[in-house]
Amino acid sequence: MSRSSDVGARSPPLPFNPYQQQQQRYPPMAPPAADFPPPQFFARPPLSNPPLDPTPPPPPPQQLYSRPPSSMLSTPPPPIPSKAPPFASPPPFAAPHQFQGLQGPPPSHPPPPPPQAPYFGGSPAYQQQQQQPLPPPSQGYFAGIAPPLPGVAAPPGHDIADEFESLSISSAPGTAADVKVEALPRPPPDSCDTFAQPAWSNCHPRYFELTTNAIPASHSLAARWHLPLGAVIHPLAEAPPEEQVPVVDFGTSGIVRCRRCRTYINPYDKFTDGGKYFRCAICNLLNDVPMDYVCALDEQGKRRDAMDRPELSQGSVDFVAPMEYMVRPPMPPVYFFLIDVSVAAVRSGILQIAADTIKSCLDKLPGYPRTQIGFLTFDSTLHFYSLKSSLTQPQMVVLAQVDDPFLPMPDDLLVNLSESRLVVEALLDSLPSIFANNENVESALGPALEATTSIMSEIGGKLLIFQSTLPSLGVGRLKLRGQEAHVYQTDREPALRVAEDSFYKQMAAKCSKLQIGVNVYAFSEKYTDVASLGTLAKYTGGQVCYYPGFHAAVDGEKLTYDLSRDLTRETAWEAVMRIRCGKGIKYSVFHGHFMLRSSDLLALPAVDCDKAFSVQFALEDTLLTSQLAYFQVALLYTSSSGERRIRVHTAAVPIVQELSVMYKEANIGAVVGVLSRLAVEKSLNDKLENARQYVHVKMVNALREYKNMYAVKHSLIGRIIFPESLKLLPLYVLALSKSLPLRGGFMDATPDERSAAGYQMMTMSRPSLLKLLYPALIRLDEYLLQVMSCVDWIAKNETIVYAQGSRGGGVDSPPQLPLTAEVLDPRGAFVTSDGQRFVLWLGNVLQPEFVAAILGPQVAHSSDLRKVPVVEQDNDLSKRFHALLAKLRKQNRWCHQQCVVVRQGESGRELQLVHSNMVEDRGAGFPSYMEWMVQIHRQVQQKI
Amino acid sequence: MAWDLALWILSFLAVAAALGIIVYQLLCLSDLEFDFINPFDSSSRINRFVLPEFAIQGVLSAIYLIFGYWLMFLLNAPLLYYNIRLYMSKRHLVDVTEIFNQLEPEKKIRFYKLGFYLSLLCIVIYR
Repeated sequence: MSRSSDVGARSPPLPFNPYQQQQQRYPPMAPPAADFPPPQFFARPPLSNPPLDPTPPPPPPQQLYSRPPSSMLSTPPPPIPSKAPPFASPPPFAAPHQFQGLQGPPPSHPPPPPPQAPYFGGSPAYQQQQQQPLPPPSQGYFAGIAPPLPGVAAPPGHDIADEFESLSISSAPGTAADVKVEALPRPPPDSCDTFAQPAWSNCHPRYFELTTNAIPASHSLAARWHLPLGAVIHPLAEAPPEEQVPVVDFGTSGIVRCRRCRTYINPYDKFTDGGKYFRCAICNLLNDVPMDYVCALDEQGKRRDAMDRPELSQGSVDFVAPMEYMVRPPMPPVYFFLIDVSVAAVRSGILQIAADTIKSCLDKLPGYPRTQIGFLTFDSTLHFYSLKSSLTQPQMVVLAQVDDPFLPMPDDLLVNLSESRLVVEALLDSLPSIFANNENVESALGPALEATTSIMSEIGGKLLIFQSTLPSLGVGRLKLRGQEAHVYQTDREPALRVAEDSFYKQMAAKCSKLQIGVNVYAFSEKYTDVASLGTLAKYTGGQVCYYPGFHAAVDGEKLTYDLSRDLTRETAWEAVMRIRCGKGIKYSVFHGHFMLRSSDLLALPAVDCDKAFSVQFALEDTLLTSQLAYFQVALLYTSSSGERRIRVHTAAVPIVQELSVMYKEANIGAVVGVLSRLAVEKSLNDKLENARQYVHVKMVNALREYKNMYAVKHSLIGRIIFPESLKLLPLYVLALSKSLPLRGGFMDATPDERSAAGYQMMTMSRPSLLKLLYPALIRLDEYLLQVMSCVDWIAKNETIVYAQGSRGGGVDSPPQLPLTAEVLDPRGAFVTSDGQRFVLWLGNVLQPEFVAAILGPQVAHSSDLRKVPVVEQDNDLSKRFHALLAKLRKQNRWCHQQCVVVRQGESGRELQLVHSNMVEDRGAGFPSYMEWMVQIHRQVQQKI
Repeated sequence: MAWDLALWILSFLAVAAALGIIVYQLLCLSDLEFDFINPFDSSSRINRFVLPEFAIQGVLSAIYLIFGYWLMFLLNAPLLYYNIRLYMSKRHLVDVTEIFNQLEPEKKIRFYKLGFYLSLLCIVIYR
């Protein structure tokens, strides 16, 4: 059986040829789009975001229509010469009639376009309009689009309709654009959490998502793609209960793998010769099938038991690894706490909250009864705690000599939790009181780290560092920096964002070698040098949590949540990850928190469900001749239960010859995921401005390339055109340029905030990243006052949330507004949700009763809202409000969204909390969304 | 004349030693590339010999300067300047955490150094 027919048998045939023939049957100029037969080969839904809500999305805003109504045809756009060549490059995957066109002012005489709502619905007038009947959903995603009636001459430019969106923008500099701001593309609500359905037997895109689902066949083609060719990998992403990754145990016989490239058995391996051999998908080598794994094939060449074996039918599996995958017995989960007890930590209440939280989590730590635990506290001295199970009270040993730390007692510093449970509890109870009167301001973090690594050197594990001041004693002491504005814009600027002392890099390397994963919790209001501290997390697969100006009453809840999540989430220990790609494709760069142990092996001492990575691919010189490219991500880890496992995600992607297909298949979430990591990494060794420019240039090049494909042929001068799949790219790049790690210069963010946000961005999964870049803005007062009894609401809401699992989106999602200060009505209350916190903005002339109902009567007239805790009041309004917050929180569980209150006109805070989120407004040296589009348009038009 | 001879023998030995160091470091880097050793060992082996190499080169240049071999000193001056700059900005050691990203540039620098010491060796021998 030939290879190609083999491919056809197991996966939908590749669409190129059928479609091309199809295309030729129609006259090139006016193929009635509605008559296009739906592509038979289409195994997955159309590639645009599938509608999430049961209701079709609101009709596009004014002037946003794809095919103009037939009556508009009397004023056609500039004609194309009738000899216009037929489409040379039909998009194989095109779902016909999915396009969005946006023209200049509509002609005066045609009937008005269907009622449409600018924004996503919002202020009352718009909502009213929205209640008008929506067009039937069968007309494609962009509703309100009627295909031209048969017989009516299609407008010129019609045949390109399938290809792209266009936006007509006046190209003359300085003139106002004739496109309404409302018409600019914005992410639909809940789009961040939505993934496309996996194609064929691929793993779910939540685990592995390519920037484009079409791999270019040649080097030259890849060079014209301009955006990164890569993927976002989230190996342990949380899945809803019905989609858990199946566990496969091959027993003692060992896991079936390719002899040469060591690829794990997967659905794309082809069995031949009655099932005796299989051909590896990645390297194409013919392998023997182990005797006890042989199974007969059916007439299509598939194994008869394929459906019963998850590894042959599903893209994601967990293999149980036998002995040969271990260099030592699987390690138990180890948690070690390194706590700063200097005066800042005690006064702000960090010590109390940390101790309480750890104590409450003792029962939920994974891996009972093997879990081990240990503590070390430090100020100018180091305090060791012996937690021997025979003791009733922990024994504390103080080591004052920090220059050359040694362990005062070799054992019992790290103990089995179930055996020493009582001693551990006694320690956690007494910790806050021991140091309650501590006046020590020094912090000997470096020596404490050295002592800790020697305690943990036997096993490894997870190290949680709580740091409240700048390390000031012993090795690894840091100095104040980043206070001078003049450093910015010079070559010394990027040094602010990397570790100052090489001690931290060496310590990180040592931790990685000893299988220690470090999580850093930093608290200080003053400079703590998060850039240096975060280095420890960066190379050990950890995370950085930063709570500037921690205040127990306000931030306590967030710390409690984040810490308990850190301690109780499923963690993979002593892990390594490797990516294997099909012939002709090679990984080139990895981004994220890990350390490379060999050129393609990522060492991850502790990795969990909240860590994502990205990788870029490069093509080798040869032309890719096969039809599919394969990728396999394998994560070898020890589960908390002490089992060695391998999580394998496999994906197959078509290889294409057409650039247009690459653009059509582009995946905005993954593109943004890789781009933002690239930009953050760039900011570590270059100026911020250059990092922003770097992303900007990539985007402009991509759009220009796309324009050159079509615009000349179809005389679309004066319009900016972009593929449907990338319509949000300009918006996200704008948001990225205004995001905390990359924003502005000296004045716009402190170095610590920048570094912490940068570290966070490197590990973020796609949904949380998109949410952070383009937060949701909700008008709260209108939403809450909707007529609906509270009890009903909550009851209904709960069932919805329950039914929809983690996605939580839903029927009752409040309408989202565009992120511009113009919508902030002084009479209203608004909430922004960026996945990290809620900001509740209260208008100046908002009714005090409303404020009193939500925040409590004493807050209504107080001017300082800085330390107002948002707690549920005893009234319906407040209950509804908190139900809404709870629902939004459920959508992203990786971090606790704290609610912060700000009143209109509070100068500094309003700017920092609200206006920095308004990505569509001018700010941080970047233009508003509209101006941005004009600017990009101008740059795209420029000839290089 | 005896001074002269001793000096040339000394500089021959020094250049040969520097050459040996560079070749050893290159071997470590390529071993790392082909996954024969891990980054920790590789970088510690390389870093062990970074300062000796700098010292040899510095002493050699100083000797040339003191004994008035201006041409030889001028030949050595650019590398000396480069080494001192690296040392002053504390970038002379290989960074174990980023070694894979630095692999290519580090190899390139060492190939240039290799070429430099080889030509120096030729000059010393045929002098």
